Amino acid sequence: MIMPRGHQLLLPANPLFMFFSLVCALLLDMLQSMAWLGNAAWTPDWLALVLVFWAIHQPLKVGVGVAFVLGLITDVHQTSLLGQHALAYTVQGFLATMIHRRILWFDVPSQALQVLPVFMTAQVLELTVRVTAGGLFPGWSVFLAPVIQAILWPAISVVLLAPQRRAPDPDKNRPL
Amino acid sequence: MPLGTLDRTPPPFFKQGTSALTKLLLFSAISLALMYADLRYNIVQPARWVLSLIVYPVQWVALRPQVLWDQMDDAFVGKQEALQSAETARAQLLSQAVRSTQVEQLTLENQHLRDLLQLRERMNTTAMAAEVLYEAADPFTRKMILDKGANSGIQTSSPVMDERGILGQVTRVHPLVSEITLVTDREHSIPVLNTRTGARGVAFGESGGAPLLELRYMATNADIEVGDILTTSGVDGVYPPGIPVAKVVKVERQADSVFARILCESLARVQGARHVMVLTPVKTALPGFQELPPPPQPIPKGGRR
Repeated sequence: MIMPRGHQLLLPANPLFMFFSLVCALLLDMLQSMAWLGNAAWTPDWLALVLVFWAIHQPLKVGVGVAFVLGLITDVHQTSLLGQHALAYTVQGFLATMIHRRILWFDVPSQALQVLPVFMTAQVLELTVRVTAGGLFPGWSVFLAPVIQAILWPAISVVLLAPQRRAPDPDKNRPL
Repeated sequence: MPLGTLDRTPPPFFKQGTSALTKLLLFSAISLALMYADLRYNIVQPARWVLSLIVYPVQWVALRPQVLWDQMDDAFVGKQEALQSAETARAQLLSQAVRSTQVEQLTLENQHLRDLLQLRERMNTTAMAAEVLYEAADPFTRKMILDKGANSGIQTSSPVMDERGILGQVTRVHPLVSEITLVTDREHSIPVLNTRTGARGVAFGESGGAPLLELRYMATNADIEVGDILTTSGVDGVYPPGIPVAKVVKVERQADSVFARILCESLARVQGARHVMVLTPVKTALPGFQELPPPPQPIPKGGRR
């Protein structure tokens, strides 16, 4: 198998953990909006972040279809236009699938720089759709959300890859 | 197969499933169709019902920390603070007692005067108390979610108020929750009456994004001042008349414009209301109300040639 030099060989991803992380991201999004920051425009979309992460690392398991369904759920939760997030997530899933072969050859900070356009495209798309449909322009801080998501990329990479970084044969001296 | 993972199944070389591009096109088309349907027709409501039932448990879990925090907050309020709030409540009660004793007399007087003038009796609207669950996360609109839905008999277009004034209107009813569009939403408009002058107008949500209302179509020389209180006028058949809506905070009169730009601040707590009342719309409370007849069936195309 061809892979970059000096990289650790990872364990297979657990589908249950992937599902769990997506649900957690959804919960975090809801918590953030319901209890904490209200409908501020600059808040990072955790679900989009985790979705793009898995679409890049596990493109055969998480892709455009999963993104569409999660988008619909987000739409209903946010009471936005039905299909708005579905479209944005679909596009993000597609773009992530497109770049997944290339992006993993870079180190993590460079990866963050490369996923920024993916998030930005989705945000611009959402903004265009809503302003066309008659919504109000929520201010320039909307463009902060993709940037925050890209900054969170290294952190999320550490957290979500942690289960795959465990030793393949744990023993008494190496329990994890 | 993803780069650098130790997968135990061999990667599928030829059976990769539907291509990402096909899926993108398919799902984008579905999304666009859904959005169009949601904007123009009322046919996606069943889908929202089903999805909202699926989302509800997750939302319930996500709300727990907030609820716990509120309870903690209530539990740890100091004794001094509690005594103080009781004191203020007592003082308020006293000041209201003076007025409430007058109410009986005034009601009677009003009754007689109305009978004299043969005005239609002011109807009593029924109300239902509800609690605000959270503000909707959509930054493009101003909406709130209530903890009562179709199961409690909430209907669409019901006016919603808190103890200070009109908060908004129920625009969507789900099985367990309902959405209200706030008076500050861009797509919301409400007929109002200036209590000082008696002039009627229509207040719209501010389109600039600030949580304000704009009183449009008032002439530049109209008699309106900062501090005027606007109440519902009741001409719309939705809001009962005489409920406070907003206070004028800014009047801009420009020489080149026919209309003055008048900004008002909502009297109700549009940011941070917790307990609200859902009223029945006036029209359905009227004695002779009946639903509009269904629109006539369109003549099928190509039926007669």
